Amino acid sequence: MEARGIWKYFDGNPVLSGVDLAIQHSEVHAVVGENGAGKSTLIKVLGGIYQPDRGILLIDGAPRRLRSPRDALAHGIVVIHQELSLAPHLSSEQNIFLGHFPVTRSGLVDRREMRRRTEVLFDRLSISVDPGCPVGQLSIAQQQMVEIAKALSLDAKVLILDEPSAVLDDDRLQILFGVIRRLRDQGLGLVYISHHLDEIFSIADRVTVLRDGRPTGHAPVADVTEDWLVGRMIGRDFASSPPQSRASGRIAIELRGLSRAGQFDDISFSVREGQVVGLAGLVGAGRSEVAQAVIGAVRPSSGSIAVFEKAVRITGPHAASRLGIAYVTEDRKTCGLLANRPVRENLTISNLKRFSRLCFMRPRHELRFARDLIARLDIRLPGMGHEIRKLSGGNQQKVLIGRALAVRPKILILDEPTRGVDIGAKQEIYAIIERLLAQRVAIILISSELEEILRLSDQIVVLRRGRVAATLSRTQASEAAIMRAAAGGL
Amino acid sequence: MSRSLPALRRGRLADAASRLHKQAGVVLALVLLVLAATYASDRFLTVPNLLNVLRQVAIVGILAVGQTFAILTAGIDLSVGAVLGLSVVLFARLLEHHGLVVAIPLGLLSGAVAGLVNGIGIAYGGIPPFIMTLGMLSFARGLAFIYTGGTPIPILNEDFYDIGNGYVLGMPIPALMLIAALFACGVVLRLTPFGRCVYAIGSNEAAARLSGVAVRRYKVLVYVICGLLAALAGLVYASQLSVGTPIAGQGYELDAIAAVVVGGTSLFGGAGSVFGTFVGTLIIGVLANMLNLTGVDPFVQQLFKGALIVIAVFVMSRPSRG
Repeated sequence: MEARGIWKYFDGNPVLSGVDLAIQHSEVHAVVGENGAGKSTLIKVLGGIYQPDRGILLIDGAPRRLRSPRDALAHGIVVIHQELSLAPHLSSEQNIFLGHFPVTRSGLVDRREMRRRTEVLFDRLSISVDPGCPVGQLSIAQQQMVEIAKALSLDAKVLILDEPSAVLDDDRLQILFGVIRRLRDQGLGLVYISHHLDEIFSIADRVTVLRDGRPTGHAPVADVTEDWLVGRMIGRDFASSPPQSRASGRIAIELRGLSRAGQFDDISFSVREGQVVGLAGLVGAGRSEVAQAVIGAVRPSSGSIAVFEKAVRITGPHAASRLGIAYVTEDRKTCGLLANRPVRENLTISNLKRFSRLCFMRPRHELRFARDLIARLDIRLPGMGHEIRKLSGGNQQKVLIGRALAVRPKILILDEPTRGVDIGAKQEIYAIIERLLAQRVAIILISSELEEILRLSDQIVVLRRGRVAATLSRTQASEAAIMRAAAGGL
Repeated sequence: MSRSLPALRRGRLADAASRLHKQAGVVLALVLLVLAATYASDRFLTVPNLLNVLRQVAIVGILAVGQTFAILTAGIDLSVGAVLGLSVVLFARLLEHHGLVVAIPLGLLSGAVAGLVNGIGIAYGGIPPFIMTLGMLSFARGLAFIYTGGTPIPILNEDFYDIGNGYVLGMPIPALMLIAALFACGVVLRLTPFGRCVYAIGSNEAAARLSGVAVRRYKVLVYVICGLLAALAGLVYASQLSVGTPIAGQGYELDAIAAVVVGGTSLFGGAGSVFGTFVGTLIIGVLANMLNLTGVDPFVQQLFKGALIVIAVFVMSRPSRG
């Protein structure tokens, strides 16, 4: 299979710009790139979910249009998504043959044949899973195997694995690699998506690098080095803006060995007043989970948190805000906006006590506060009574920052504060952050944009698979250094 | 900044205007219905008849006010009819041996307790409101039957009779109770932090929680209010009929839900008001009254009511989609 010059636009913006990808038989082809480089979009094009706006797909040398995932399946192209698509209450054999059950002459499902074929497939993968066990009771790794078996039952010739390692620990990963090698030796072409560089070197034969939707490198893995890959992924030798040193005060918050089973482990760092600590790392490295634990939305299983050098127990977001800790979510839509409520209510919901007396709201007081904040954050809105969902992404984000400010935070956690906002709004949000720092607020900044992290942080903590992979001072930090720590293999 | 300021000056006005806009459809529907009723029957637009309408809608209206709280949080309370039934038999039994000062508080308390159980199950047990209150529906009704052995208890207390049938300042007492409940709940929803949180929870529960709203505590309170108002409706019911029958209020939960949704409150939560619920209650009440006055067969009336609910919600859901 081959993709040539694939372009894909969303809302007029190119997400893929002239991507070529040739998948050979008996080869593992890795696709790497930063978050948002266009890997997922490329997979969706290959799997028939999206149609390319320009470019062609060749299958066995002949141009084809894949109009749907069904079309792709008919050509033996199977995508295994990060989120597995199995029916949890059905057994693994039923899942494998869902939609193409072997039938007896009378038209009923031929259970014996189904069991036999399942065992053949499992044999081919050298795995031992009870074919009759409901999939929901299997481990994630086993479920992944069932997905792969399902792909084989569909006579897959090209198997595309979208970040399969994200849900696996190291031992399971080795088993997966074994299966991948076996399939490769049986003649399949495989596409392996990941941003963990060490995995590329241990499993892939060939690698394509994407950056901002553009192919920036293509080579046999044997010929490349890690530095080359990192360079292609970030695309430039980034000279960070000369750090202006910020006056720092007392330690505002300190995490000591914070852990939560399966999510993050032994996280320690501290933030001083008027300083930014950036939490860098790949998606799934555990950054947001740490933030959630700091505000008490989830309970850490061990470790402690100290606020102004006093050990505290944070039992929930409510308790966190009383300690002066505020959080701006990365997920505006599902955890942030009160979508069908007016801007004013969205701003003040975090601290209603401040705007009420004797059990009654003080509307005038509240309105004055809202107006003041709207002016200070330069939020543009058609009118106070309008629902927040009618604002642009950047203005919505500013409202959420305003909501956090309503609790008069001493410690502010910003989780991807500029995701999905335009460049103008981004600059304004940076300016707001600088102003807060001048007011001695301590900030924990989570961001997938290295440029943003480098620009704002006094110290950078890089997480990798739930652990602190590196702690970099402003002078040590560079995109390459962060990327190397985040993707592994120092 | 210059761009945002003029808009802000219009703030409160725009607020009020947008509220009015949202209610305009419902109010217009009521006006049209009143015009139709006036045209259809001479007797409709007379003071005694209108007061009669108010008295008739009082029970379902009070239930619907409570229901509004549950639905605003994106929940629902299916147990209000059964809780009403339970309170009715309690009022009747307590009045056999005690006075009003004992019977009324205890009867109301039963509703609050049922609501408390609902609220705890939903907020702390994580049981979906539909399921929890469906369970309570059956349970409360069962209790009412066990408590009475299945036979209605007559109520002979004359003072109690006045609650459902008397007048104050020319207004039927049940209608005054409905208006008082509406006013109090309207104030709570519009002007208190609790009311704000009710809307916030219904709009986006995860966001409310992350903003430090004590979501679980407020949810319990919502169902307590719902139960308490169900018992208040039970008080009106028991005194209007002067009998404590365990089947009281069967199916009323659906009438209450109908009034809330016809009044424009979203079943997805976060949008609506008790004012809308009041108008919704009146729409259903006026329709029934009009059909009665014009002598439409009660069986056929059901068809009208069903069609009204669907059409009202269909018409109102259209502009908000844009």
